[in-house]
Amino acid sequence: MNELILTLKKEIIEVLNLEDLKPEDILDDAPLFGEGLGLDSIDALELIVLMEKNYGIKLNDPAQGRDVFRSIRVMAGYIQANRVK
Amino acid sequence: MAKKEVYIWAAGQISVQSPLSEAWMTEPLCYREPYVQAIDPDYKQYFAPNTLRRLGKILRRALLTSRRVMEETGIACPDAIITATGLGCIENTEIFLDALIREGEELLKPTHFMQSTHNTIGSLIAIDSSCHGYNTTYAHKGISFECALSDAFLQLSNGRIATALTGAHDEMTPDYFVLLKRMGYLGHAPNGFSGETAVSLLLGGHKRENALCRLQGIEFLYRPEKDDLQQSLGRLLQQSQCRMEDIDAVMTGYNGQEANDRVYTENCARLFPGKRLLHYKHLFGESYTASGLGVYAAAACLGRQSIPAHLFFHPGNREQQGVRHLLFYNQFENKNHSFILLSACGK
Repeated sequence: MNELILTLKKEIIEVLNLEDLKPEDILDDAPLFGEGLGLDSIDALELIVLMEKNYGIKLNDPAQGRDVFRSIRVMAGYIQANRVK
Repeated sequence: MAKKEVYIWAAGQISVQSPLSEAWMTEPLCYREPYVQAIDPDYKQYFAPNTLRRLGKILRRALLTSRRVMEETGIACPDAIITATGLGCIENTEIFLDALIREGEELLKPTHFMQSTHNTIGSLIAIDSSCHGYNTTYAHKGISFECALSDAFLQLSNGRIATALTGAHDEMTPDYFVLLKRMGYLGHAPNGFSGETAVSLLLGGHKRENALCRLQGIEFLYRPEKDDLQQSLGRLLQQSQCRMEDIDAVMTGYNGQEANDRVYTENCARLFPGKRLLHYKHLFGESYTASGLGVYAAAACLGRQSIPAHLFFHPGNREQQGVRHLLFYNQFENKNHSFILLSACGK
């Protein structure tokens, strides 16, 4: 799980071009949207694409995304349970 | 109703010359490569990281030059934002199209897709300045800038608006450069090169202190017959109450490409016999909206009342002081021709 969390942080930094952040700057349980990383709805779209492209997970219900993208740890847990690649 | 006078209040550029400065007037940078990208300032000094992370190069440049001229003039929200771009956000377009092909048309990169259209530039400036006024983008290849400037000029002179932020923005990617080189548009001459353009001009409908110059008028023609050019030029001079002998020099778009330069040589000899010719693409390079840099350079000369020696097309000229009127002549593929007359303030 810890390895997946680290990989996920690196992927998010790359996809969202968070060039000033390092993986250790992103707290595992901090909220991704609003506070914490301060991501917005466009970033949510990028994360949906990331989930599908890298892990084969399709998020069709936007409400589902709200839960899945709560924090890095929640996201990693969801990927671990649902990944197809 | 009397027409209002139109002035260029401020101008700023990011190009292959030192950015956000007029250092090119005294210490021009010279290039021998056929493909040169703009010199970007350290954007982190100007933008928050969260703003910067989504913006491609053309957007960063457009936003920064726009902010610069707005700050310089104290105009926080211009009445109109009028943008010229030949290729739009071509870098973002390439990124999302590449991804689309790579992923079998399944997965779109949202940010690059949303910021790939030509009017992203004007929209971004409007969002940044909370400007809800007139906002238009002209994407007409080599006359995009003339169209944008003409739009601003007409609205300002008719009193419909009081201020207009007019920009000329084009980036050049390595892949697109290869395509344009194959088409023979650029990259085939020893003395010319492909550059990148980001110019913002703040235009106003009245004269004010520190304005760079007055924009007297614009004329442009499509596939003119020989007499059409002469008539168009005569019309512009007459409307501006200016005579040909009043013109100090003519700014031209010589770019080192044989076909392009031949048109200038023939037409300049016929239209402006004996006039001293200036050029700017040897400093700034060629791009679809390079004429924006030409007008910027002419405005800078009028603002400083000085034409540097290295702007003269024919060697042997010295720096000229006391400039009053500069005529800008641009042509694109010998199809689109335009004249823009600029005068020193108060003349």
